[in-house]
Amino acid sequence: MLSRYIPNGVHKSVKSALKNVCGCHSFYCTYCLPFISLCFVVLLVGCAEQDEFESDQVGNFEALWTIMDEHYSFFDYKQVDWNEVYQRYRPRVSNEMTDRELFDICGDMLKELRDGHTNLIASHDVSRYWVWELWPVNYDERLINEHYLNFDYKMASGIRYQILPDNFGYMYYGSFSSEIGEGNLDLILSYLSTADGLIIDVRDNGGGYLTNVEKLVSRFIDTKTLAGYIRHKTGRGHNDLSEPYAYYFEPARNHIHYLKPVVVLANRGSFSATNNFVSIMKSLDNVTIVGDTTGGGCGLPFTSELPNGWRVRFSSCPIMDSQGRLTEFGVAPDVRVDMDKNDFTHDAILDTAIGILARATNLTTTNNHHNN
Amino acid sequence: MKRLLTYLLAAFVVSLGTAGQENVSLFTIDAGYASIHDSYLTPITYGGTDLALGYEVMRNTRFAPDKWLWQLGVGADYNYVENDARNNNLHKLMGDITFDMQRQWRGAIAHRVNLSAGPMTQLRAGIIYDEVNSNNPVSVRAHWNVGATGMASMDTRLWRLSMTLRYQVHLPVIGVFFAPEYDESYYEIYLGNHKNLAHLGWWGNRLDMTHYVGADLHLGKTTLRVGYRARLEHWTVNNLKVHDVSHSLVLGISL
Repeated sequence: MLSRYIPNGVHKSVKSALKNVCGCHSFYCTYCLPFISLCFVVLLVGCAEQDEFESDQVGNFEALWTIMDEHYSFFDYKQVDWNEVYQRYRPRVSNEMTDRELFDICGDMLKELRDGHTNLIASHDVSRYWVWELWPVNYDERLINEHYLNFDYKMASGIRYQILPDNFGYMYYGSFSSEIGEGNLDLILSYLSTADGLIIDVRDNGGGYLTNVEKLVSRFIDTKTLAGYIRHKTGRGHNDLSEPYAYYFEPARNHIHYLKPVVVLANRGSFSATNNFVSIMKSLDNVTIVGDTTGGGCGLPFTSELPNGWRVRFSSCPIMDSQGRLTEFGVAPDVRVDMDKNDFTHDAILDTAIGILARATNLTTTNNHHNN
Repeated sequence: MKRLLTYLLAAFVVSLGTAGQENVSLFTIDAGYASIHDSYLTPITYGGTDLALGYEVMRNTRFAPDKWLWQLGVGADYNYVENDARNNNLHKLMGDITFDMQRQWRGAIAHRVNLSAGPMTQLRAGIIYDEVNSNNPVSVRAHWNVGATGMASMDTRLWRLSMTLRYQVHLPVIGVFFAPEYDESYYEIYLGNHKNLAHLGWWGNRLDMTHYVGADLHLGKTTLRVGYRARLEHWTVNNLKVHDVSHSLVLGISL
């Protein structure tokens, strides 16, 4: 019966082999049947997955283009015709070129996406589109430490903090990659609780963990708050995106909160998770955003790799603000201010924040007097 | 209701018993080659080392010792694999528990050759960790399934040494398994979006197999095991694709 499904030549060869090895003439021999079955099974199981692309220069270019084509989430939002990009860049690639030449072409191709979260990472270089490098710096750490803090500040969980002479709290958080301990945050906010207002400075904060965004925001809300919406790619098509999922932050339970007026300082270097933080804080009633537009970067980046081992990072999951808007190109401040780059003793953005808090606290005091 | 379930469970365990002709209880260690392809982490197939520890017990049931046997296996396996460019590694750590009951046919096709087959169930879970990925650094694997197992064994002698040759396949047929959507981050799952994470696994989207062939050498009260084990985990869902294979030498000893 089995032999009916086996080509005649193969059938004869196998029977001949069986006769030589085992001495039998049949597939159904006690010893041969299990052995043949096992060989079939090992062949079936043993087939490891074959990679789709060759590891030559053309293969790596094709792999990069395809990975982006199937996973990048902002093609339509940025009106990038990725097929047209392929037509322009593919002719420039050949197997004879060096790795550095290929890297430069691939890096240029990725810059077409105008995305700070998109990088090609090789042993010798990282391609990037860091638009904030082109904008005014709008932050000078030394100036603040010297002229506002008098080099006298506390540090915990990556946060520098102090109460300024005007009785406004100041905290600088330089990276959302610095893990925030809930206990540390309690001690920081406890120390700042006597201040009439608080300035949270996230300028030049290039992002980090979104879980730290939640930890920080949860200290400035007293009710469940809509933080925004998140989506993800569901398939290879450019528009294969999930329905926006609304996500909320809860106030931190059994921890210290700060509910007085708050000003958040931002600049173009406030990117990625910091952009997310600013977009959420902006939606709160008692918070004012001061400084420059943030650097953007609202796509949660995933990582993939090419056959030659280069890594590629790209925006994969769009995160929107509480109004359902993408903030890929930044969050605009409530009060737009630039620092005077010729003034080495004053931070115009910080001064503006102090002024806003002064007015807000005076207003609060006045209202309290009226109420009384 | 809880008491009834306890009685039923106790009766089931007692009925399994410990007496009978099939009496295997040993610890095993596997070492060999593993290949991992998980498109959530990378489009590249990684290859490297497979290591596993296991414990297996097999007994004839008390209620029909000549006809039925049960088998329980628990184990953990670790794969350390790298890409062809040799600049990144994946770590895969899995644990599993497998239980089956088999109807035996002694001397079914030849003297001393026993065949058996029956239903099986398996719970297997773990993670794969990519050393450099940003927001997709791990791929969580979890599946529970039911299926069939089949075994052929033969008692024979190698010179004066008594031994049992055995081939066994575990073949899950249907079950449930976890998979995120195509590019869904675990952060989004953490935020509470749990849609479309559990999937019905069947041969249309998922194929798992474990094959074992080897010899148990009976040295007095001690049994030594030498064998070969092959595992396959293959599935496609949510436009994701997984294809993991391992081939390992198995060594075991009864204690």
